[in-house]
Amino acid sequence: MPAKTEYVPFMSYIILILIAIICLFPLVWMLSSSLKSQDEIFTNMSLLPGKLHLRNYVEAWTRGKFSTYFVNSLLYTVLGVFGILVITSLCAYALARLELPFKNLIFFILIIPLIVPLPGTFVPLYVLLKRLGLLDTRTGLILCYINGGLAFGIFLLKSFFEEIPKELEEAAVIDGATKWQIYFRIMLPLVKPALATLAIFNTVAIWNEFLLALIILQDPTKMPIQRGLMVFQGTHITEYAQLMAGLSIATLPVIMIYLLMQKYIIKGITAGALKG
Amino acid sequence: MVSDRRYLNNFFYVLPAILMFAIFTIYPFIKTFQLSVYEWDGISPTMKFVGLKNYLEIFSDRLFWNSMLNAGIITLLALTFQNMLALLLAVIIDRGVKFDKFFRTVYFIPPILSGVVVGLVWKWIYDGNYGILNTILTHIGLEKYTTSWLSNPRTALVSVAVVHMWKGFGWGFVILLAGLQTIPRELYEAAAIDGADSFKQFWYVTAPLMLPIFFVVSVLTILGTMQIFDLIYSMTRGGPAGATEVPISYIYRYMANNELGYATAMAVIFGLVLFTLSILQIKISRKLRKV
Amino acid sequence: MKAKYLYMLFLLSLVLLTSCGRKKGNLQEIVIWHWMTDREEVFNQLAKEYYELKGINIRFETYAPSDVYREKVRAAAQGGLLPDVYSPLGDQRELASFINAGYIEDLTEVMNTGWKDLFFESVLQQNTYNEGNEWKVKPGIYGVPIDVVSIQIFYNKTLFKKAGINPDNPPTTFEEFIAVCKKLRSAGIQPFVSGFGEEWLIDVFSKSFEYQILGEEGIIKTIKGEIKYTDPRWITIFELFEKMRNEKIFAEGIITMINKDAERVFATEKAAMALNGSWGINVYSGMNPQLNYDVFLPPKLTNAKYPVKIWVSSSFLNVNPKSKMKQQAIDFLKWLTENKQQITLAEKTKNIPSNKNVIDAIKYDVLKKFAANLDKSFPTLPVMENWKVVGTKCRGIQSIIIGEKTPRQLADELQAEKQKLLAELK
Repeated sequence: MPAKTEYVPFMSYIILILIAIICLFPLVWMLSSSLKSQDEIFTNMSLLPGKLHLRNYVEAWTRGKFSTYFVNSLLYTVLGVFGILVITSLCAYALARLELPFKNLIFFILIIPLIVPLPGTFVPLYVLLKRLGLLDTRTGLILCYINGGLAFGIFLLKSFFEEIPKELEEAAVIDGATKWQIYFRIMLPLVKPALATLAIFNTVAIWNEFLLALIILQDPTKMPIQRGLMVFQGTHITEYAQLMAGLSIATLPVIMIYLLMQKYIIKGITAGALKG
Repeated sequence: MVSDRRYLNNFFYVLPAILMFAIFTIYPFIKTFQLSVYEWDGISPTMKFVGLKNYLEIFSDRLFWNSMLNAGIITLLALTFQNMLALLLAVIIDRGVKFDKFFRTVYFIPPILSGVVVGLVWKWIYDGNYGILNTILTHIGLEKYTTSWLSNPRTALVSVAVVHMWKGFGWGFVILLAGLQTIPRELYEAAAIDGADSFKQFWYVTAPLMLPIFFVVSVLTILGTMQIFDLIYSMTRGGPAGATEVPISYIYRYMANNELGYATAMAVIFGLVLFTLSILQIKISRKLRKV
Repeated sequence: MKAKYLYMLFLLSLVLLTSCGRKKGNLQEIVIWHWMTDREEVFNQLAKEYYELKGINIRFETYAPSDVYREKVRAAAQGGLLPDVYSPLGDQRELASFINAGYIEDLTEVMNTGWKDLFFESVLQQNTYNEGNEWKVKPGIYGVPIDVVSIQIFYNKTLFKKAGINPDNPPTTFEEFIAVCKKLRSAGIQPFVSGFGEEWLIDVFSKSFEYQILGEEGIIKTIKGEIKYTDPRWITIFELFEKMRNEKIFAEGIITMINKDAERVFATEKAAMALNGSWGINVYSGMNPQLNYDVFLPPKLTNAKYPVKIWVSSSFLNVNPKSKMKQQAIDFLKWLTENKQQITLAEKTKNIPSNKNVIDAIKYDVLKKFAANLDKSFPTLPVMENWKVVGTKCRGIQSIIIGEKTPRQLADELQAEKQKLLAELK
């Protein structure tokens, strides 16, 4: 239950609403364009389309082969995010709380990709995947995605783990809990907000990812949703109406995941965990 | 006194991460890193070893350092305006407002939108011919400030920075809010009982506990903003005449023109700069923690 | 330890995925990688036709946009996984690298059996290397042109009339061009737009003047360093842009416009003229079917020693010498360039066919005008200017257009950079 609603002045609401409008505007524009016809997008500047061209959505779905691509994107995102959460939480917990030789060195090496951007690493990656027999496979792509999320995940989670008071852990040890139980039953729930944050970050990143998928994959039945959107961006002609419809369809799941993850950032759960 | 067996058990926790990392990151990394001491077009079976020639050339490459400056400017703007905005909004929401779920969702829309939409919409907003920004300015009597925002070398960089901040503040907002929500309510209640008002509560309760989170957000902002690329590519391509060129777009130019050795060397130097910035951040945050 | 179970579960799911990912390729199949999204449909249609004809399956795979396509090709080259037919999609220098690395089949012999006579000479030249080329490529023909595009200046007839200019009499000389621009400005119409945010387009416009003043020889000499960029002839060229800026012919925001934006400006009648390619016909009809327009060649300069030249380019497909279906692939490409298929392609895509015999079958008048001028193409040179110098030139012209540089400054800057590069080559 919010403790200080009275303290929030009217000004705050103005700020909140203003920012909200600025944030919503492109989304509204995208939706409104998706319901217009191609030439209308450029001639009719208002946000309301003349006629509702719902047909654009049908076209986007069929021509963009969304049924296949959607499932693929779903697969990559779910497995990718799950993999990232599992691997990074285990690793970050160990680096924050367990005893290991060269902890700092390991941490440092793991976060290097955040700091040194080497573009073009995907050519050696491509050759590597070929050697491992993972080229043009879903597994190969998912492994790359998980790998991509490690640095940030470990960086974020380690900070959150370090903030948890040691007393909680010590109390659990006294109660006879094993390392695994401490990790799974106490530490993990306490960093739910961070996990939710990571889930959102990586969902967006993987869902919107395009370059790596296109380079590693060849079989069109494995392509993610971004490939479908490509159909509307010709070498010379961009079919804006259908593209906007496609983008609207593509953006929907991510918004839904955000709404889902959102509730884990609500105070109640954390407060409850602390009491228990 | 820790037994080896214990080390081994603990090691299993980090094993998957390290394993994946070694295969999918370190190996390609080293291979690419090697390129920086060669001249190679990416195709020929032979590469020409040139030692440190690429690195030496970079030091006198005016355009490279200019691109660093541009990225630096955007980063500075992001560290201040973007993060302040994110903090302000997170604090307000944390305090408790009506419709907070609505606001939370809406603020995260910009980061979710694909780069395509963001680039298109903002280009349209900034457009010198039909742009909404100019239209609004004219309506409120500020017509003399209208310009072609993305084509004017004086305004181009800041215009792109604004879009970046618009798209980025949602991340900071989410992380900061997550951090704020882990602060036990009891602490605020105790402070209130002691007679502290909102500002004092923020200064003595919120800020100290949030320090590590601030640090995380700052480091991520610096790293993320310095490496800005997608927006530059979709809005200005580094124009007008290089006014919005940033390190990644500059490196990309060299890659597209098949000078992989030089491009990689620039990436390494760029990495070193970012690394230095991060170390500085860590040192500063350690000092602040002691306080 | 429970952690172990978690890993195993996860790894198991991944392994399961791998196993449902494999598909054996069909051996009697030719794989073609291309980037032309707008041609995907007609390519698939032609592939079906060919299958019914010869029983060989042609698989067209599209990867777009073009920079992603290029990356994929380069990665595949490194990994030894190039398809039967593809294109490096780069300039002469890049194509040369590919050829020298053994990734491109030499098609000279098969072309000489009469195949090459189907094509416009200037178009075929673009994938041909001659004696003494700077990349030491064995002379010969290495690619097959599928269609052709070209750039001229589009103009809006309605807007011309509105400004009091005879729409059937577009400008031919530079003076006429400037006069027309002035009239448009006084009528409150933006005279000229183009995607000058894309450096190559600035280069195209600049070259149409460069070739008039320096000729092919002069340009080659400049590249070799024998003529300096500070030469009065070059300064004259840069001064043209200064003059155009002073006469206010450029549309607002032109130097950060990508071509698609410029196309929108022209299609929505916010500018009267647009330097754009023949693909514009398709684009404009999609954005504004009512648009009343025509094209004219870049204007002639008074002190021009040489004739006007225009940009002409072709979509080429190359053959992988390591392909197991090499001969069949070449046969397919031959079929693709035959009259009937070329007509189909031209009709569906509104591009100029590469097969010169079917020019008369083109239905669109404006397209006919483009096709009629293909002989004026920029010549294919045995040398190429360094990309950094070209980049500086184009960015410098952008600066001139916004008044941030003078022609003299640009010339000095260019020459300094060129000097440095020449010194390095020694």
